Amino acid sequence: MSTIDNSAATAAVALERPKKGMSVERAQGRIGVLFATPYTLFLIAFGILPALYAIYLAFTKKGAFVGFDNFLKVFKDYRFWPAVEHVGIFIIVWLVLLVVLVVTLAILVHSIGLRWFSGTMRFVYYIPGALAGASSVMLWLFVLDPTVSPVSWLLQALGIESFVGAVDASRLPVVLAVIAFWTGAGGWIVIMYGALNNISKDVIEAARVDGAGPVRIAWSIQIPLMRKWIAYMVIMSFAGGTQLFVEPRVLAQASRGVVGQDYSLNQLAFLYAFKQNDFNGSAAISLVLLAVAVALSIYFVFKGGLFERA
Amino acid sequence: MSAPNSEIVGTRMRDLTPGAWLGRAFGVLILIVFALFFVVPLLWLLIAPTKTDRQLLLEAPFALGDIGTLLSNWQSLMTFQGGLIWTWIGNSVFYCVAALVITLCISIPAGYALAMTEFRGRKLLLVVTLIVMLIPSTALVLPIFLELSAVRLIGNPLSAILPFSFYPFGVYLTYIYFSTAVSRDLLSAARLDGASEWQVFMKIAMPLSTPVIALVGFFSFTGNWNNYFLPYVTLPGRKAPIQVGLAELLSNVPAFNPTNAASTTITLSALALATLLAIAPVLLVFLFAQRYLVSGMTAGGTKE
Amino acid sequence: MNLLRTTVALSAILVAGAALAQDGAITVWADATRQPAVEAFIAAHPEVPVNLVLDDGSSGASGTFQTKISLADQANEGWPDVVFSTQNNDAAWAARENNGAQAFAQVLNEGFLDQAFLDGFTPGALDPVTVDGKVYGLRNDLAPVLFWYNKTLLDQFGYAAPTTWEEYQALGDKLAAEHPGYFLGGFGDAFQGPYIYYWSGEAPIFQLEGETFKSDTSAPNAVKVSNLIDHMVANKTLTLDSVFGASFVASAANLVAIPGPAWYSGALFQNPGGVNAKAGDWVAAPPLKWADGAAVTGNVGGGVWYASSHTQNPEAVKTFLKFVTSDTKVAGTGGLPAYQAAADAWLDAQAASGFYAGDFKAAIQAAASSVWNGWGYPNFSPETAWAKIVTPGLAAGKTMTDLSADWQQEMKNEAQVVGYTVE
Repeated sequence: MSTIDNSAATAAVALERPKKGMSVERAQGRIGVLFATPYTLFLIAFGILPALYAIYLAFTKKGAFVGFDNFLKVFKDYRFWPAVEHVGIFIIVWLVLLVVLVVTLAILVHSIGLRWFSGTMRFVYYIPGALAGASSVMLWLFVLDPTVSPVSWLLQALGIESFVGAVDASRLPVVLAVIAFWTGAGGWIVIMYGALNNISKDVIEAARVDGAGPVRIAWSIQIPLMRKWIAYMVIMSFAGGTQLFVEPRVLAQASRGVVGQDYSLNQLAFLYAFKQNDFNGSAAISLVLLAVAVALSIYFVFKGGLFERA
Repeated sequence: MSAPNSEIVGTRMRDLTPGAWLGRAFGVLILIVFALFFVVPLLWLLIAPTKTDRQLLLEAPFALGDIGTLLSNWQSLMTFQGGLIWTWIGNSVFYCVAALVITLCISIPAGYALAMTEFRGRKLLLVVTLIVMLIPSTALVLPIFLELSAVRLIGNPLSAILPFSFYPFGVYLTYIYFSTAVSRDLLSAARLDGASEWQVFMKIAMPLSTPVIALVGFFSFTGNWNNYFLPYVTLPGRKAPIQVGLAELLSNVPAFNPTNAASTTITLSALALATLLAIAPVLLVFLFAQRYLVSGMTAGGTKE
Repeated sequence: MNLLRTTVALSAILVAGAALAQDGAITVWADATRQPAVEAFIAAHPEVPVNLVLDDGSSGASGTFQTKISLADQANEGWPDVVFSTQNNDAAWAARENNGAQAFAQVLNEGFLDQAFLDGFTPGALDPVTVDGKVYGLRNDLAPVLFWYNKTLLDQFGYAAPTTWEEYQALGDKLAAEHPGYFLGGFGDAFQGPYIYYWSGEAPIFQLEGETFKSDTSAPNAVKVSNLIDHMVANKTLTLDSVFGASFVASAANLVAIPGPAWYSGALFQNPGGVNAKAGDWVAAPPLKWADGAAVTGNVGGGVWYASSHTQNPEAVKTFLKFVTSDTKVAGTGGLPAYQAAADAWLDAQAASGFYAGDFKAAIQAAASSVWNGWGYPNFSPETAWAKIVTPGLAAGKTMTDLSADWQQEMKNEAQVVGYTVE
């Protein structure tokens, strides 16, 4: 889920509006094409072609066009809907965690007058963002195993006596959401903090003079003005969440199969490709996921407003 | 980054009513609790390799072990399959640095071209970049795998390096940077002095773009370093980078894979050490770059 | 300048890429338990360079072997020369062509290895890896389930050693009542339930007829095993710990008896990190039987060595396979070697060492010849369904009786996905 920080950063930078070009010279045009070509080739090779190839595979079987057969087969697979459910519940838990806590923490950090304290907090929150992938899950394996966990008292207070208990189906979405939150929240807090800094001080001062307390200010002024950013966070996290892979995969390995190898949709696509040798089915699942991600991103680019141009 | 608005919160503590003071204290408490949540697991990870498995199981979680144990854990990790961990780390460095070089070589000129020049298809390229940039990178892993497999590149280091080098976010970041931070007048002035387009780019634009090169470099490096899914499918075995290697290591830890009961396995402490080694490069880069990054990330937000 | 740099970078990549490849050696994939055997081969045959890659040996039916081969098939390179798998059912896919890639497993009879050597295996040992008369792998060890008990403890408590599952359960009742804290086995690994308890009980829950998979956890033979498990889990004489886990090892002094495969000998009892038994305490007894059932037992893996059909060094592979399965010091890797001559030597050595009280050799031989043949070897394992459904269910306090229908459904679903007809 490392993409979150990156895209979060983008959003911040994207507020800037580029100036329009004034004159077009042929020399400029030529160097523009020259400079843009290598990137365009990569864009085609690793952005557009793979998507087209997945479309081709998803609608064919042994080279012959089969319509939606691959999709139907995948939808009828007994593992598909449970995987959708797993991913869905995880996303809901994660988004709630993100929205509530990131907004709260950002407003709290922002309200701290002591500059060093606020800076330190933001930095500390952001550190885990440096970890992602297998290493962050590895770290959480230790935290979740009551026999070695630094917070075993907390696990026991929650009724978790063993590692198997910690990754029990009923707790797993929360566990995965906590891991994702731990890794990604800091980046969002920094972004939200920047958004808060953008709110005109006069507006808030006026509200204060009118007798509004910090909670009232947060609720009526700050949060509405952060709306765009919150929406951005939710949409990006939603898209990222559907891609769940490394976390349940490593947990499956560590729990000896208690967390299924077919827990998430990407894992299922993986099994189709490498256990069943069915690349067509695998491509069908990938395409479903890709369609969700592209739809979200197109919606955001054209409707979300963050990238509006003058 | 601008200072927090001290006016809003009124730092003059003595002006606060007792209720507001309590509220403030409660807020600070929440912040500290979350600071602990974010940092405690990392602190524990720093301590774990100094202990034996037995100490991990029995002793207080934050009791320090000793340097001798650390050395023996180090030893056992280093001797695991003849220092395979260094092969993995070396692979990671190779893939990420190569991808970094290519990323910079294609992204910076492309961002410059999008921002400072006009050419046919510029708008389209920009919109497509924007869309692709927002798609999670994992969404394309299996399609990219299938494509690379069709051209028989799987197992070749290029199968990680090339996809790693495609970094639309970096292009967009550069585009934003040149659009806002570098004045077109400056470039025009250079042109009037008779500089060619190439010279304008190399002599004027490049020297100004150090900050964005650093930013793109950082995001590209950390993102690729932490990438698991793509190299996991494209570079199996000894060619795997450290993130994939870590997960492989896991299957040799008896605590997580008990049917391996031999004495030649990896202990929990050694696994903790391996995790630490795997995150060390990113953590270091991060610590050095943090001030810069945080300001870079909020740059848009604070400049009005 | 820009182009130049890209070119330089690219050529550096290609050069380094070539340097990553290795030649001449044979590559062996095996789990850490097999590492000493591979090292013994390196010492005995310095002329054959070996590149050992450790993995999990597909334990718990993790699918590592198949996944990694699929990846290599796609890469069109990177196949190992020899693979060890703890699972017995890999021939079901490794003997087939996958997505146009040739079948991974080399046919070992019909001229690859001489028939005289293959005939040296214990009769029936190669059945799980034989498809249509073609042998696709060599068994590392035979893993029949026998009954291990601590004679010293039983004598001290004044109990007789059980010989039937009913007596085993009754012993549990007595221990629970008179010596709480003492126990009769661990149940936390995915292999114990299916292979030790259900297989020994002739439970028809994992059967293959042609391409049809059958599973019936409500059959009388399955129900009686479920009841035994529920009863003994309830009175805590069966723990939910993995037999290699920290808590099992910590309470190993309270282990009175345990049914388990022959390889418990090396992996559990004579392992300093396991039970670490004292010489003379433990007896390997013939397998338990059900009072109303046949004298049969289960089987837990036993591991298989495969040769790659892609190998460039067939002679080195042959040397390796022969050594690792038949060398008297190495074969079996702590369990009962599948190769007859090595098995005899191992049994004699174990008997001579006097580590186990009682007639070790007779017990093992009795078990080895009585593995129930009603268990199937399809292209999936009951362990994944067990880990997914039963392990967390038991941990949450449910019983086998509650869980067996879901377990059966999960196995049937898995069968369907990999292409079997399900009844």
